[in-house]
Amino acid sequence: MNVRDRLPSGHGDRALIAGVVCILVGALFALTPLRVQLPSAFYVFVEVGILFVIYGMLVLGLDLQYGHTGLVNFGHVVFFAVGAYATAMLSAQDSFAGIALAYPWPLGLVAGVIAAAILGAAVSLTSIRLRGDFLAIVTLATAEIFHSLFVNFEDIFGGNVGILGVPRPIAAVVSDGDTRLAATLLVLGGITLLTLAAVTRLTDAPYGRVLRAIRADELVTRSVGKSTITYKTQSFVYGAALAGLAGGLFALYNGAVAPGFFTIQVTVTVWIGMLLGGAANHRAVLAGLAIIMGLRLISRFALDVTPVSSDVFASMRLIVVGLILVAVIRYRPAGIWGDPQELGVDQ
Amino acid sequence: MGLLQELIFGLVTGSYIAIAAIGFTLIYGIVNMINFAYGEYLTLGAFIGFLAANALPGPLPVAVIAAMIGGGITSIILARGFFTPINQTGPVPMLLTSIGLGIALRNAIRLVGGRSARYIETETSTFRFDAIPEIPVGSVDLLGGFFITSEHIIVIASAVIVFAAVHLLLTRTDVGIAMRAMGDDESLARVRGIDTQLIRDSVWVLAGVLAGLAGVLMAIQTNVSADTGYSHILQILSAAILGGAGSPYGAIIGAYVIGLVLAVSTAFLPSSMTGLSSAMAFVILIAVLLVKPSGIAGSEVREA
Repeated sequence: MNVRDRLPSGHGDRALIAGVVCILVGALFALTPLRVQLPSAFYVFVEVGILFVIYGMLVLGLDLQYGHTGLVNFGHVVFFAVGAYATAMLSAQDSFAGIALAYPWPLGLVAGVIAAAILGAAVSLTSIRLRGDFLAIVTLATAEIFHSLFVNFEDIFGGNVGILGVPRPIAAVVSDGDTRLAATLLVLGGITLLTLAAVTRLTDAPYGRVLRAIRADELVTRSVGKSTITYKTQSFVYGAALAGLAGGLFALYNGAVAPGFFTIQVTVTVWIGMLLGGAANHRAVLAGLAIIMGLRLISRFALDVTPVSSDVFASMRLIVVGLILVAVIRYRPAGIWGDPQELGVDQ
Repeated sequence: MGLLQELIFGLVTGSYIAIAAIGFTLIYGIVNMINFAYGEYLTLGAFIGFLAANALPGPLPVAVIAAMIGGGITSIILARGFFTPINQTGPVPMLLTSIGLGIALRNAIRLVGGRSARYIETETSTFRFDAIPEIPVGSVDLLGGFFITSEHIIVIASAVIVFAAVHLLLTRTDVGIAMRAMGDDESLARVRGIDTQLIRDSVWVLAGVLAGLAGVLMAIQTNVSADTGYSHILQILSAAILGGAGSPYGAIIGAYVIGLVLAVSTAFLPSSMTGLSSAMAFVILIAVLLVKPSGIAGSEVREA
């Protein structure tokens, strides 16, 4: 029996192995004197790549909620923000404004995940029974409320400046800039792959079948004895906790959090990525997100060669993004790689 | 500033939110969608008003009427292009489409109109009432002198005229009665021989006219930039849901509740936290959806 046969065949197991390999290689760069040199044209790719793997965790959680269970969460950014703020406030050493408790960062990260999960539980306990479009409004309003709390309570959240001085664990062990970027991308990408493995495992299990049954027809699912409210709540909380993890990792990568990082634009980006790729298919939603975030790269390069201001370009990019959302829903409601039959949408 | 002054500001805010919320709630009740791009209709109305005020030599009412006509035409064109083709897909795809359309419209307006805030210049006369005694409670003055400008009076009077016109339309005309019938039960309305698509189109036009009016009133009373409509959409939505989604009369009450709560919370919050007053509208929205999702006068929105 050779090595090939021993390799697992499922997507989930492959993602698990790839994730572990990525983290190990990343750790190799971080902990040994091994150095990488990136061509300077590459920086922008690596930076967008890091943001992509962080948003990847968001889109996987959102796909669990919307793609599999049918919960329309249009305030996903709030869980990302709460995770990031909780991590930052607990672990920041010395912030210009706001609370900085200087606990070790792993504690902060755990607290970020828990805080996001608690908020998710609170939202779902109160609102999960609402009809789809109204749940969207409640989650959106929750995100707006938290956004204005972050801006207005300067003593606690640091206002518009946010919280500075958050420890950066990878930057702390790697002094060289190029290596630091590569190690960050590898470690965070590895964590995203592990997340992919975990959600694949969850949704391939009978548990995932129940979630999809709820999406297809809640009444029928209830009639075969499944407590749909419990399943919906769990799915919502898992998605929120994943967003909290993404938020905590973002804070530890970025070294600072501020309200400007957590606008509705984040929600819109992950939603469009998910719908474009095809909801209910984990790898498709990541691919869809990659396409949408790839647009940022294009606009950044195009900016250098065209004589328009960056403001104008940002507006043009957002017009395209909005029209992509409209076009996907109208012409390809199941997304590029989605299965219309399974999603139950009319073509 | 005294509380009385804040209440006048609240009435003015409530008035233009009410005009917009009637249009929003009619779309909800009859087309059965939450139109998240509706805030952009307000901005469009205001910008058409700017154009008209600059291009046409006529008096202010000309700009207002141009904004209303422009709003109605834009609304029906957008509805025919984006919403009517997917009418059968259900509320969630339509909500998502309106979110995408809203992003595109907002940025298109910013691209064409620029980032700066503008306003329509009008001759204003201010009426002051300074003789009213102050009743200070803590940092808040419960009465106090106040002023009211002719712009405030224009906004409030326009709202009252709109309420009367909408009431007459819904109760005295065939189109209005058909609208109410469709809001009640679309299939039954169709059985009675109502052309449902025609009624839907007329609702889109009416909602666009109201949005244009609300937008141009905002431009007269304060100022309007590309983001103004978007920053008001959640207040309009809160007013509509508070009143009971689909009910125009509920929306009017809801809008004034929202306007007054915003004003009073501005008066009572410490000055460093006045930004929180806009969050109050969302707190009301969530509270209503949790306690009585059907609003003051409306139908059930819970599934299970």
